[in-house]
Amino acid sequence: MVDSSIDLMESNEILKKYPPEKRFTLAILQDVQKQYGYVPRETMNLIAEYLSQPVSEIYSMATFYKALSLKAKGKYIIKVCNGTACHIRGSNALMDEVAEVLDIIPGETTSDGLFSIEIVNCLGACALAPVMVIDDKYYGGMTKEKVKSVIEEYRRAK
Amino acid sequence: MKIKIDGNLYEGIPGETLMELAKRNNVEIPNLCHKIGFEGQGRCRLCMVEVNEGRRTKVVSSCVFPIKDGLEVVTNSDKIKKMRKDIILLLLLKTPNNQYIKKLAEEYEVTAPERYEDLTNTEDCILCGLCVKACEKMGTSAISLVNRGTTKKISTPYDDSSKDCIGCGACAEVCPTKAISLEDKNSTRTIWKKEFNLVKCTSCGKYYTTKEALNFINKKLGEESSEHICESCRKKSISKKFKESYKDYASHIK
Repeated sequence: MVDSSIDLMESNEILKKYPPEKRFTLAILQDVQKQYGYVPRETMNLIAEYLSQPVSEIYSMATFYKALSLKAKGKYIIKVCNGTACHIRGSNALMDEVAEVLDIIPGETTSDGLFSIEIVNCLGACALAPVMVIDDKYYGGMTKEKVKSVIEEYRRAK
Repeated sequence: MKIKIDGNLYEGIPGETLMELAKRNNVEIPNLCHKIGFEGQGRCRLCMVEVNEGRRTKVVSSCVFPIKDGLEVVTNSDKIKKMRKDIILLLLLKTPNNQYIKKLAEEYEVTAPERYEDLTNTEDCILCGLCVKACEKMGTSAISLVNRGTTKKISTPYDDSSKDCIGCGACAEVCPTKAISLEDKNSTRTIWKKEFNLVKCTSCGKYYTTKEALNFINKKLGEESSEHICESCRKKSISKKFKESYKDYASHIK
């Protein structure tokens, strides 16, 4: 489980920005998430040590918020909307197609580290339903047929 | 500070909660997640009571409700009884095979509707969080509430055997539903996927605690004692001391 490939220098940089007080736990975790795309185990231990908090408490917080992830995310995060409007317009079929094309289930990351699938509840773009977001680009009016070509685009771009 | 509970007047201490006042005066308010010595958590919701403040009536969790002068509290109105039953029903559906919850349901005449009952469910934990509190207060905060919503559970970080756990067993001791597995086999204790070597009581020779827990206590007390005795031996030795010190007195009143 120990991932030695991550750079703990960056974690230390983040920690230095905050005073060692418990109330900064979430802010630190958010910065770490932004930096690495997830919260690495070593960093979690570092945070606990820095804030003089038990690891269990940091872990509890990191698992509570959806914005924080414990597993490494892919380079591109595909967010498939399953809000009411998208749901009615067939987001379930869209999700299944994305999962099939990438051969992973939502929440997982492809073995080449390129893609992750996330299911979100509303992206605020209901007029475009069903909608899918890759990084910050919105793909509205998605159909099962379009999924493959969109993903191919990203694969080629790498 | 005068507080009326179910028609009887009680003297309250400023700063205490309704539950503490009730427990101090042996007024029964059902609860699962409250223990004297720990602050209230308001988690199990079984301790709900009705509070009359002037003209307003509201339902509050007594374990987290600070008392005020002139409060009138009703612990057994029809409304409260109904709520209590609903809460027990939800607990029963969550842990349909737990002996303690089953007994509680029986006591309050709650039966689960058959179509919702899943008897294959072996869950024992009701997520009251007492173990987390106990670990924080008496141990090393090795466990915590993990995840949220339907996947919420009590666990160690990453579900691994925790480096912080000292195997003191406080979590298992306070658990109302006996959901935490603590196994003492010969000279080893297994808890939270971690194995500990047990230490013998220097007085009676029974295994009773772990080396790690002893070290932790010694460190906390700031002293190293060569003698470590189990709870029942400690009680015996203290009562013996008492008996000795009152020996002369006892012969007088004969």
